[in-house]
Amino acid sequence: MKCPTYSSWFRERRLDAVCQILRLPAVMLSQIPGIGPVVKAASTTVGQKILMAITGLLLCGFLVTHLAGNLLLYAGAKQFNHYAESLHSWGILLNVAEVGLFTLFMAHIGLACSTHAMNRQARRSQYTQKESKQEPMALPSGGASGWMFVTGVIIAFFLVVHITDMRLKKNPFIDYSPAYQNGPEAGPDEFVAVRLVLTNWTAIAYVIGLLALGIHLSHGFRSALQTLGVNHPRWNRLLEIISLLFAWTITLGFLSLVTWAAMTSGTSN
Amino acid sequence: MSDEHLNLTLRIWRQDGPEDRGAFRNYQLDNVSPHMSFLEMLDVLNEQLIASSEEPVEFDHDCREGICGMCSLMINGQAHGPDRATTTCQLHMRRFNNGDTISIEPWRATAFPVVRDLVVDRSAFDRVIGSGGYVSVNTGNAPDGNAIPIPGTTQEVAMDAAACIGCGACVAACKNASAMLFVSAKVSQMAVLPQGRTERTERVLGMVAQMDKEGFGSCTNTSECEAACPAEISVEHIARLNREYARAALTAR
Repeated sequence: MKCPTYSSWFRERRLDAVCQILRLPAVMLSQIPGIGPVVKAASTTVGQKILMAITGLLLCGFLVTHLAGNLLLYAGAKQFNHYAESLHSWGILLNVAEVGLFTLFMAHIGLACSTHAMNRQARRSQYTQKESKQEPMALPSGGASGWMFVTGVIIAFFLVVHITDMRLKKNPFIDYSPAYQNGPEAGPDEFVAVRLVLTNWTAIAYVIGLLALGIHLSHGFRSALQTLGVNHPRWNRLLEIISLLFAWTITLGFLSLVTWAAMTSGTSN
Repeated sequence: MSDEHLNLTLRIWRQDGPEDRGAFRNYQLDNVSPHMSFLEMLDVLNEQLIASSEEPVEFDHDCREGICGMCSLMINGQAHGPDRATTTCQLHMRRFNNGDTISIEPWRATAFPVVRDLVVDRSAFDRVIGSGGYVSVNTGNAPDGNAIPIPGTTQEVAMDAAACIGCGACVAACKNASAMLFVSAKVSQMAVLPQGRTERTERVLGMVAQMDKEGFGSCTNTSECEAACPAEISVEHIARLNREYARAALTAR
């Protein structure tokens, strides 16, 4: 039973305030002449979802290239380090790509917060009992679609851990010195660094993060297509299968690297 | 079919008005015929309440044959009760067992404020329709039949969308209280037909803007609405709404 106490009143006002703040960028952008109408459209519920779908699919594209590059770990130290060096040889272009990727993530997360806040506003008093009419699903509360925000938050946390581990090499639980055996000028041996991270106990974050990613993608990929208008009775079943395959191929692909590192940790490579 | 009469405990949401806090009240209702519809059962309860000088339970209803979209009710956590493709008025008491406790709540959405007890104000839907869900026509003589050729399959798509009775079960069942299934049905039924295509841009922009203004949530593609819809409207129409919207947003003059 709901009591309109001071705290619940405060909670509702706070929700309104958060929604106002989250809408600010779109409101300001819509004042720019020329792109105004498009941005205004992008600030509606439908427009925000379309933008989420586009950023989500672009991030899926990133995952494909990221996994393809990482699978070179199986080819051995020479090939993997060659790949890392050629990426680094892009120089400023690599930084531009990193900024672009960061922007994509921030846009996707920002839109998620904005739509989540609007959705909370749309139902202020909850049902005391709520059941689904859909077929029983693998996960409670509507299958993977009910877990998008939770898995999204887990992935965001994992992203911070992952960048600290691999990009910045600042994980306090890992001694990175074996990766710097080639002298201070040569830069780190990325192959050794990756193995150091994945064989450390903190690699448990990778397992959790990747499983969350699998759940997120198993709904997200198909959902993004639907939001972009891809739905036809003749193709829907195939699209569902492709989406599930995509989600778990990416996830198991990355997970296999974690397992590989753990199983070969005794051997020097 | 068993003719055994049912003794039920009804857990019903009572709320004196929009500002009232509201609470559940339990009622014992004995000797319920399994052949009654759910609404007839509530009628019998109200007779019993009136006889004991209590306020009857307010609930929405009209045609009682599943076509008007007036009846609502969240029955044991499900919009229009446990069956698919069924409105509350088409639900029969034989779906329940002797001794059951049945929980009855109103639709819950910010855009559907509770008026009293189980009655919610669904005029937000009317305002969404008023913002574009129509075709402007010249009055006068009726045009010739088949003057505009329309393929049978296209007619079927439009007719499937037009089956929406506007009851609001999609909003009630959606975890985001989103009205996307309703709005998409009302956009689709006209967007696929030549008569409706003339105003498609203004229609979708206007209806989506009004939908947001009313405070409905956004679509997470959970398809819970499709499962709850008594008219079996498909989420295929939501994809069409998204296409219509993207097209309109990019090309509107």
